[in-house]
Amino acid sequence: MSHSNGVASRQDVLRVRDLSTRFFTDEGQVNAVESVSFDVRDGEILGIVGESGSGKSVTALSLIDLVESPGRVTSGQLWYRNADLAEEFSDAADGEFVDLRALPTRVRRALRGPSFSMVFQDPMSSFNPSIPVGEQIAEAVEVQRRARANPRSTRSRTQGYGLGRYLLDSVVPTLDYTDDESHERAVELLEQVGIPDPEQRAREYPHQFSGGMLQRAMIAQALAGEPDVLIADEPTTALDVTIQAQILNLLRDIQEERDMSVLMITHDLGVIARMCDRVCVMYAGEVVERGTLEDVFDRPTHPYTEGLLGSIPDLDDPAPRLQPIEGNVPSLLDSEMGDRCYFADRCPKAMTECLQHPPEYEAEGSAEHRARCVLADHPYDEREALPPDYFEAGRPAETGPVDGGTDDDRPAEEAQQND
Amino acid sequence: MSYGRFLLKRVLQGILVVWGVITVVFLLRFITPGSPVDFVAPQDASQELRQRIAAELGLNEPLYVQYVDYLVGLLNGDMGYSYIFGQEASAIVFGKLPATVELAVAATVVAVVLSIPLGVVSATRRHQPADYGATTFSLLGISTPNFWLGIMLLLVLAVQIDLFPVGRRGIAFSTAFWMLFEGNVSGMQTWLAHITLPALTLGTYFTALITRLTRSGMLDELGKSYVQAARAKGIPETLVRYRHALRNTLIPVITVVGLQLGTLIGGAVITEQVFNWPGLGQQVISAVNNRDWPVLQGSLIVIGTGFVLVNIVVDSLYAYLDPRVIE
Amino acid sequence: MVSPRTIRNLKREWRNNWLAKIGVALVVAILLVAVFAPLLAPYNPRSQSLEDSRLPPMGFTETENSTSSQFVNGSVQVVSERTTVNATWDHPLGTNQLGQDMLSRVIYGARTSLLVGALGTLLAMLIGVPIGLVAGYYRGRVDDALMRFADVMLAFPSLVLAVALVGLWQQAVWRIPDPFVAAGLAPSMPPDIVLPGTVIVVVGLVTWVWFARVARGEALSVREEEYVKAARSLGASDAFVIRKHVLPNSVTPILVLGTIQVAAIILLESALSYLGFSGTSLSWGFDINQGRDYLATAWWIATVPGLAIVLAVIGINLVGDWLRDALDPGLGGEGGSGA
Ligand code: SF4
Repeated sequence: MSHSNGVASRQDVLRVRDLSTRFFTDEGQVNAVESVSFDVRDGEILGIVGESGSGKSVTALSLIDLVESPGRVTSGQLWYRNADLAEEFSDAADGEFVDLRALPTRVRRALRGPSFSMVFQDPMSSFNPSIPVGEQIAEAVEVQRRARANPRSTRSRTQGYGLGRYLLDSVVPTLDYTDDESHERAVELLEQVGIPDPEQRAREYPHQFSGGMLQRAMIAQALAGEPDVLIADEPTTALDVTIQAQILNLLRDIQEERDMSVLMITHDLGVIARMCDRVCVMYAGEVVERGTLEDVFDRPTHPYTEGLLGSIPDLDDPAPRLQPIEGNVPSLLDSEMGDRCYFADRCPKAMTECLQHPPEYEAEGSAEHRARCVLADHPYDEREALPPDYFEAGRPAETGPVDGGTDDDRPAEEAQQND
Repeated sequence: MSYGRFLLKRVLQGILVVWGVITVVFLLRFITPGSPVDFVAPQDASQELRQRIAAELGLNEPLYVQYVDYLVGLLNGDMGYSYIFGQEASAIVFGKLPATVELAVAATVVAVVLSIPLGVVSATRRHQPADYGATTFSLLGISTPNFWLGIMLLLVLAVQIDLFPVGRRGIAFSTAFWMLFEGNVSGMQTWLAHITLPALTLGTYFTALITRLTRSGMLDELGKSYVQAARAKGIPETLVRYRHALRNTLIPVITVVGLQLGTLIGGAVITEQVFNWPGLGQQVISAVNNRDWPVLQGSLIVIGTGFVLVNIVVDSLYAYLDPRVIE
Repeated sequence: MVSPRTIRNLKREWRNNWLAKIGVALVVAILLVAVFAPLLAPYNPRSQSLEDSRLPPMGFTETENSTSSQFVNGSVQVVSERTTVNATWDHPLGTNQLGQDMLSRVIYGARTSLLVGALGTLLAMLIGVPIGLVAGYYRGRVDDALMRFADVMLAFPSLVLAVALVGLWQQAVWRIPDPFVAAGLAPSMPPDIVLPGTVIVVVGLVTWVWFARVARGEALSVREEEYVKAARSLGASDAFVIRKHVLPNSVTPILVLGTIQVAAIILLESALSYLGFSGTSLSWGFDINQGRDYLATAWWIATVPGLAIVLAVIGINLVGDWLRDALDPGLGGEGGSGA
């Protein structure tokens, strides 16, 4: 784990503080992300790991303001280091940092691409099926090119591209939005992510690509705006095992080459172990443990983390999966969450004091190791243990949806299917 | 499969369907009670005269001979002779065709120009007044019989406030068009004044239908991951809507519109009747009432062939917009 | 078939969907009106009374200019008179040019529309569903041939083909004794329900293609299901597999399509009646046709029956939307062909 050396000396590029995202569904309020805090540093890979429904994907979407109705980011700050913005929006600034949530929507959206970019889980559904792949990447390049030419105007990026222009485009294909320069850049990007014969492939449609190749193309697309932070949401889950390693290597090479920050979201501890410098473990919408890779893997403090790690005999094993921990994923419905440790019903070491929601404690290890568990503060006391059937007797609150093995990370949908 | 081969296959299929249309139209006469002779011969015609007329019409030949004769005739542009008009049927059918095409095209233009923006606005401003307005309009539009709508438009705009002429085709579009070159705009004005109400009448159902399809299609597309991915890479919302979502919405909409084209032509028949529009539709009805077989058969074949042609164009467009269908 | 899950979905869509409630209310109301027409209609819809002709509906007055010649002092003089015709509660929706009560005619028109709509749809289903199922199940040549034939049928606009067939064939009219009149509950009403047989047969013949297309699509997908493959490998006969597996799976989309088609056929029937091809004069389209000539003097004759059609069709379309949203049969843009 040589790449984690010297991490502490690096500067933060993004500080997430007390981020909460809720979904307001017919069944009630779902607390998908609950008061989450973490930092992303220059040139590092930060991992967020958790089961499906733990809120890790919603966290990622909250960062780039892509949470859709009925969901909404309800509180928290997202401090992003950007001197220019901090100067322009001094009200929302703190030194070099500016709170993204306090920026106007227009400005915030303009950060997608040059500041943040995202690689999604399923490349096949993340490309528009009826537009050639190269054209879609060129489009991303073009948007950023126009934005640079006229940084503060949304109009220049749209350049009157409305209904009329669309209709014209569909009749006269040459009147396209992108120009040759952007196309050349798109081909270049495809080449950089290791796609052979990029000129030819740029003209092909998504359905003509294999999953692995398409994921490479999506990475190329995400690089189009030269982002500071690349968010990779389960980038290998939909792929063949043999391809997974290639994509991970590619991500790593690109990250080192450009010295950008990567936020790696996955349920796969193997991916975390081989890629990340620091880790956040999420459970029921909360970060339950965070620290350096060594902190979390060698000195896990939270029983949930321990449970996860229990299944991995060897950290170099390329594809260990999360160990199925007994019990159900919690429903995240506000009305059913209660005020206890959310993991208590599945925790083998639950004690009476765990019926109070625990704060984040400093934990043994590096200076930044934290765990949201009383065990970080004092050792297990068997006399205080809750009886094993405590949560079964007449407490219907814990009947969340059974994890169907999907990686659908949207509690809102799960809650809706849950009637 | 290449685009060329796809087109070829589609055209061959089309020819097959047109052949089927001709066959059905030909057989129609044999599943209809009464003989064509009744409508040609005088009331008190002798048996001998009736025989002669039957022979003249080729009715005594075996079925397959008549069939082959008919096909060969059609290939030579001969639809038979209309005794009612004392004229070649093809001359009558093609003489009436332009008026109907004018009406259908005008209605389609009305529909496309109104419906797509309505559908988009409706989908992107979901649960806002604009959406409720568009949804109500489209529900009314698909539920209103167009002949009644035409009558109501006449009642209000022509009879009560005298804004438009009460029907009839003022002038042919081609005539009005050539008049423009002589610097004369009055022809166009007349044409517009006469076609506005019929085109609105005929176009309303289609406008409503496409609005509904566009709205639900847009909502579908906007919920898909590629839209989210496009937003994540920084594409502005206008581009996301029009270049990505709308484009993919319209691909299936185009097909449905092609399938529903029959409704448009059927609607034209009755719209022509309401507005006294001298087109193919009126001709079909009078041909049915007069048992004018050559004109009736000719009209049905022209209508059927038109439907097939337009659908070939629609399918080619579809394959061009969404190359997945070719494979 | 109709599983508990289906019912749950229907209920869920019902709760927040007031459009569905309006639709069901409209359909139920029109059904009741159609069934109990003889009890609800204030007059016999056919009985004429010339002195009551062209009375406006409640809330409207109509002034009429009439000219008459009179002998005044031994010479002929033309006198023009303005008379005001007031609406009366006797005829809340007014009367037509023959003095027939519009309300009674609208009530009786509901019978014709619903009967043609329901029976026509049923016939189209009976023709289209088996053809579609067989085509989709056997695929290959059978499918090609049947679907090419369906393409041919589709190439004729249903209204045009219907006009041709109804116009060329003789009008067959079926008369069924009206049970209410037979039971002596409404002695002054028309004794028979008149069913326009040719119209029913023809609308069925020109719209079956939509059912065939949908049934075929379902059969195509169901035959790929594992349990169907298993049943076939165990030696189940084709007829058994179609009846036991394929048909039940197609019920939902066919039901939804059927609902939409009833609306489409009501529109088709009204168009045919408007063009003068109805088998009965107690039809909304027929009355609109009558009113076409009186637009300048008695606008309501054409307006009132049209509103009745719009209400009926909106009601059915709303129910169709509800079923479609709740059951999600994936019909896309199938169906239609109204006027
Ligand atoms: S706080 Fe208590 S229940 Fe929660 S994880 Fe720690 S020990 Fe288990």
